[in-house]
Amino acid sequence: MNSAAKLSYIAMCLGAAVLAATGVGVFALGKPPMTHWVLMAHMAAAPVFAAALAAVAATWAGLCRKGSKPRPGAAAKVLLWIILVCGLVVMLSGVLPMTPLFGTGGQRALYLTHRCAGIVLAIAILLHLPALRGRPARNPAAGL
Amino acid sequence: MLPAAKSSNLMCLLWLAALLAGAAGAGAEAVKSGSRGPFLHNIPLLDTEGNVISPPALLGDDGRPQDARAAPYSTEQTCGKCHDYGVINEGWHFNAADGNVKPGRPGEPWILTDPATHTQIPLSYRGWPGTFKPSDLGLGDFDFLTNFARHFPGGGLGDPDTIDSTDPRMGRMQITGTMEIDCLICHQSAGACNHEARFTALQGENFRWAPTIAAGLGTFGSLRNAGNMADQWHTGEPVPAAPPSIKYNRWKFDADTNVMFQVTRRPPSANCYYCHTSQIAPGDARWQSDPDVHLRAGMICVDCHRNGLDHMIVRGYEGEARDRAITDAAIDLRAKIIQRDDTAISSDDARQLARRQLDAELGMIDTLTCSGCHAGGRFGSPRPIHKGMPLVHFKKLTCTACHSGPLPGPQPEMVQTSLAHALGLLAPVRGKNTAPIIVEPVFLYDTDGRIAPYKMVWPSYWARLKDGKLTPLLPAEAAKSVGLPKQNPEEAVRDPYNTKPLTDQQIQHALESLADNSSAAVFLAAGKMYRLDKGKLLAEESAAAAPYSWALAHDVRPARQALGARGCADCHASDSPAFLGTVLARGPVEPSKGLSREMWELRGEDKTWIQAFAFAFKFRPWLKGIVFGAAFVVLAVLAHYALRGVGAITAAMSAKRSQP
Repeated sequence: MNSAAKLSYIAMCLGAAVLAATGVGVFALGKPPMTHWVLMAHMAAAPVFAAALAAVAATWAGLCRKGSKPRPGAAAKVLLWIILVCGLVVMLSGVLPMTPLFGTGGQRALYLTHRCAGIVLAIAILLHLPALRGRPARNPAAGL
Repeated sequence: MLPAAKSSNLMCLLWLAALLAGAAGAGAEAVKSGSRGPFLHNIPLLDTEGNVISPPALLGDDGRPQDARAAPYSTEQTCGKCHDYGVINEGWHFNAADGNVKPGRPGEPWILTDPATHTQIPLSYRGWPGTFKPSDLGLGDFDFLTNFARHFPGGGLGDPDTIDSTDPRMGRMQITGTMEIDCLICHQSAGACNHEARFTALQGENFRWAPTIAAGLGTFGSLRNAGNMADQWHTGEPVPAAPPSIKYNRWKFDADTNVMFQVTRRPPSANCYYCHTSQIAPGDARWQSDPDVHLRAGMICVDCHRNGLDHMIVRGYEGEARDRAITDAAIDLRAKIIQRDDTAISSDDARQLARRQLDAELGMIDTLTCSGCHAGGRFGSPRPIHKGMPLVHFKKLTCTACHSGPLPGPQPEMVQTSLAHALGLLAPVRGKNTAPIIVEPVFLYDTDGRIAPYKMVWPSYWARLKDGKLTPLLPAEAAKSVGLPKQNPEEAVRDPYNTKPLTDQQIQHALESLADNSSAAVFLAAGKMYRLDKGKLLAEESAAAAPYSWALAHDVRPARQALGARGCADCHASDSPAFLGTVLARGPVEPSKGLSREMWELRGEDKTWIQAFAFAFKFRPWLKGIVFGAAFVVLAVLAHYALRGVGAITAAMSAKRSQP
């Protein structure tokens, strides 16, 4: 794993941490909607996370395909794909409401999608970190 | 007999039957047409005693022409025969002085304005925070009427159940008559209410006669006003036995002495405008303003601001239902109808059922708010789409914040209203600085914590300060100050509203002349309290001089002219009026002397955050670009491996098939 992959992963985790703290945190503490400085922090961390996620996708995807190197383990590989899918959903559901494409109904659907995908993403990242240190994949030779 | 005459006689019989029924029972319930079409109100006029008014014949016994003189008609008797006056009298337009009525959301106050003393004091019987109750100023109900009868529809405090003959002011009503509800101000459909004539009558305290005169049925039949007669009367003395008559227009009466009233249950908006005009561009600039989008669409005010017999007009704000109380009179009326339909039901059960029905009906009020109507599709209202508008805006803003009033500019605009500026009555052209100066839109938080547009006025008055307690002076008392500058006749002609601001020197001089040994004199204006300290004039911000504000809802602009229709920068910009607009306290002092606050200060917000947030919007296109770009990369990677996966699966399946 090269340093670019490590750096992008670290940046993604940091971005996700801020996003989770400001987004899921506000939701969990029961004071939605997000406003003021919390919203500013969320919006500031969003492009960092997005760029880092794109870099992670580019640098980690090859490592995490089926039959690739034994490290990371199978759980970590699966979780990475979940992170990428959820990350994509979170990004699109976060930025599409800023376009004049969706009315109130669409905005509500996107908001709920953003919220649910964000929670899944946060959990996936939380699980991914220990999974990276877990057992290697059982059958590394059976690749694609 | 001609058919018309037959029908007319039948009407008379019906009317007499109604009269007898009315006399037998309490209140009015008598007869109803029940149709959705209008009922032709060709009815007899009744005086305050309930007697049918029948003008004397054209020629007297001596063969000489005689005037059609008779008593003024009474709306309580005439209209009240079929429409329960008592129930109507508890309606929103009449019940302000009834201490048992919930005040509801603060609304437009009456503003006691006197250009000579530069006084403008917001008054309300409802106790809205920031207003004075008339009694706080020593203003009795009768004095309130003499000040505001021009736009007061009568009823309530104007039509007390009993007149205290020992009260030298209220006792005058024994001569002037009470001010009954003038139903025709709202309900005449032909634009025939003569407000000017009514105003002239009311200025002469001809309260009993005003509805007859305003309706154009006749003229005041005496050279002396009732007010002049009341001036000659003193408490304890008998009142004049023969009050002046009305000189009726004979042609208003048909052969059966019925009078045709062109009335409607749904008053035209023009009638509402007599009291509810709000004009940004005064005088000749009126052509520049657009009417409310709902009126342009063919609606009228009462489509939304509707009411039942109780005349509790739906004000139309969200949460209004919780501010409404069901009155005993409304329960009684409904119970009466229930018992009529079901004679077996007990009185208690009928009242309980009536209560339940009325409770359920309160819920309907919510469907007449902006969101209630547009979400529910009443009147075929368009469902709002709000494309690109994040949901947080609906939690943080009222509908009116973006859609109502004038588009905000660097400073709120000055606005004139019927109640404050006596619009609807002829007067020298009112200018922008004509007191009281009211500004709109000021964006403040409402009771639900959402930003809404408001009108705002700053009180201005002379007062005495004793032991920390402030006692406002009524204009007549303040006028005694020799220090107040008087207009010379030329000035009074050129500037009839005395709009020239007071200088510090003039204020100091007036305060010196108003002060006495027991209390200090102060002047409150434009958000500040002026007082003398060791002979020097001090002007400080004071809570007593704080502005009074009330929510505005009209005129509603079309969706394409709403705030935000042109993009986020309508509000989220470094010079956004909604956040950084300057609200300059207005009053009878130089504008530079008034308190100045930006909108965010009035709302208690953090300017750093507002500026940072507005600044952040400069980077919004970047944010979108980065996120869309990143999403594209992630999507491409996912698609790449997904396709590879599909390819691998296909290859594996092909290999399996080709195995022997």
